[in-house]
Amino acid sequence: MWSVVKSVLAALIGVQSNVKRQQDFSSGKPLIFIVTAIVITLVFVLILVGVALVAAR
Amino acid sequence: MHLPWRWLLTITCAVSCSQAQANGWNMPVGVTDLSRDIYNLHMTIFWICVVIGLIVFGAMFYSLYRYRHAKGAKPANFHENTTVEVLWTAIPILILIGMAVPATATLKKMYDTSDADLDVMIIGQQWRWRYEYLGEDVAFNSNMSTPWEQIHGEEEHGEHYLLDVDEPLVLPINRKVRFLMTADDVIHSWWVPELAVKQDTIPGFINENWVKINEPGIYRGQCAELCGVNHGFMPVVVHAMEEEEFDSWLAERKEAQEQEAMGVDREWELDDLMARGESVYRAICSSCHQSEGQGALPAFPALANNQPMIDDFDWHLDVVINGVSGAAMPAFRSTLNPVELAAVVTYTRNAWGNDTGDVVQPALVAEKIAQ
Ligand SMILES: [Cu+2]
Repeated sequence: MWSVVKSVLAALIGVQSNVKRQQDFSSGKPLIFIVTAIVITLVFVLILVGVALVAAR
Repeated sequence: MHLPWRWLLTITCAVSCSQAQANGWNMPVGVTDLSRDIYNLHMTIFWICVVIGLIVFGAMFYSLYRYRHAKGAKPANFHENTTVEVLWTAIPILILIGMAVPATATLKKMYDTSDADLDVMIIGQQWRWRYEYLGEDVAFNSNMSTPWEQIHGEEEHGEHYLLDVDEPLVLPINRKVRFLMTADDVIHSWWVPELAVKQDTIPGFINENWVKINEPGIYRGQCAELCGVNHGFMPVVVHAMEEEEFDSWLAERKEAQEQEAMGVDREWELDDLMARGESVYRAICSSCHQSEGQGALPAFPALANNQPMIDDFDWHLDVVINGVSGAAMPAFRSTLNPVELAAVVTYTRNAWGNDTGDVVQPALVAEKIAQ
């Protein structure tokens, strides 16, 4: 699970090592990546909303 | 290679800054606290960009020179380096956040229009600005006063060519003034660099902005949104004065406006209406219908020897008061007061050989407007 999160975070900033990518493509299931990515995107949006709320105070 | 880069940077900085300021290349520091903040923010971000540029292009040109093909340099052939990639992603993110913090702080100040001491409505019109001091019963149009002869090259350009108006927006210093900004016809933009205000005025919307001016003076600007043929001829002039001076100006203006309102009821002579009408015509009408009423086809018909207009007095008056829908002629019922309307209609019915002898009384116009 941790390795999936790490891969999604790497995709978020657009940097990933070749070795890790080969691993993900050979062993991982697409659905897990998609769900994790949606969750992390939501968390990211919530962080932005939080920052905006703090800044608007 | 040991460049005294700090020293070099300081010198370049000092020289280029003062130089740009002196030449008018840079934005002005301005005369409000906020304009100073905006200027400092601009300079901070400018220098961050300069440093980044120096590092990036410095590294590039150094590498181009040091590892040139002529010296037998061999390219490295590795494919990826995760550490470097993470670094060159993380560093820009940090720089951007570093710039966002002061930028957001300044934006918050710009948007804080609360607790204003004075509200002024700014209305963009083709092609003039109208200012209304809300709750004070003071309102007037601010027309460019540069003579058309200068624009057409028949006279020397004056000192404030295209940047002078018949009546400037008068504001007090040291008081927070809120602007409520809109337009009657198309989008305009009210821009005064020294006040750090550049705000679109949009028909049907009210935008807000504010100033608190520190120094008395005259500050000039222009319409900054292409709004038609005379877009270049609707300058902004702000006259900032000491508070007491402003208060007496406002009281005087109010008095004058009341006098004007009383003028509606009295009987006017032809000569008085002609004189008044000529100045209204020059300020308001001549930009389209031209100085001698000769017009500019196809959009702007001639008024001199315009037979339908001469024959039909009621229609003429109605067009001036209510405009022509679907044509360039706007309604002047709220831009001009009854005295000005009566004067300008009298003027156009008697000038340039129209000679109808008609005298339009302001009372009649007031009646028509009320209908
Ligand atoms: Cu305009």
